[in-house]
Amino acid sequence: MNVQFKKGVLEICVLSVLARRDCYGYELVGEISKRIDISEGTIYPLLRRLRDEGLVTTYLQESEGGAPRKYYRLTGTGRDRERELRDEWMQFATSVNAILAEVTHDAE
Amino acid sequence: MTQNEQDYIGSLKSALSGTIPDEELQDILSDYTEHFRAGREEGRTDEDLCRALGSPMDVAQEIRASWMVSRAEKNRSCRNIWRAVLATIGLGLLNLIVVLVPFILLTLVLLIILVVGAVCIVFGPVAFVLALLQTAGISFINFWLWPVAGVFFSIGITSLGLLLVIGDYYLARFFYHLGIRWLKWNIRMIRKAEGTA
Repeated sequence: MNVQFKKGVLEICVLSVLARRDCYGYELVGEISKRIDISEGTIYPLLRRLRDEGLVTTYLQESEGGAPRKYYRLTGTGRDRERELRDEWMQFATSVNAILAEVTHDAE
Repeated sequence: MTQNEQDYIGSLKSALSGTIPDEELQDILSDYTEHFRAGREEGRTDEDLCRALGSPMDVAQEIRASWMVSRAEKNRSCRNIWRAVLATIGLGLLNLIVVLVPFILLTLVLLIILVVGAVCIVFGPVAFVLALLQTAGISFINFWLWPVAGVFFSIGITSLGLLLVIGDYYLARFFYHLGIRWLKWNIRMIRKAEGTA
């Protein structure tokens, strides 16, 4: 998959994972990277930007291992943005799929 | 290529120290330290974690660019926007064309308008006084061919100069705002071409 394209969709992926549940950094990175091949290190700068824009907040919580972990949670604005981006993406994907299906159909 | 946590954290630290505030840097480093700790708890090796994280230099460049842009947004100055522009160039070679070139051209245009405006503001009143003196017949140099027309013309030049300078200010503000948005979008979307994915 085109790498230019991937970075752009990373934001909606992160927001979408967080819309389901709060995650700590490593967990979130794992959720994304098990499906999309990315440099895992770039998720953290993205999370900082989302926090600076007020889309996510962080809080510390103890782990079984002992050391506290930084959890990320969507804010109200974050939820709105997630819904907005999700709708846009779904519409876009539906249109692209429809075009691809037509082309495949014509070729048969 | 970094092989273990110390290398990775060390590279990040040396790439970022001095460019962003210490407090911010410590917070960033602790994110990665936590990442390594969590990964190790799942039985992954440092080499594996480093490989998956990718280049710490890419991470550093992105963090620096984000930081510079948000600072330029909060404190408007030529210096800050210039630094933000330079910081985003590291994100991809394409940015030389889509960020640096437009930025330089815009700066030049805004400067030229400012200089032309300033010249009008300085020259206009001088020409006005000369025209008045000539009209009154007490001038020692005959600057204007038609002194009466010169009175009106120099008033026009002065007003034009004022308009240009004021307009230039609003134009600069508008493009500053637009530039920040463009840089932010750029950081979100532009990714080093190959190898690092």
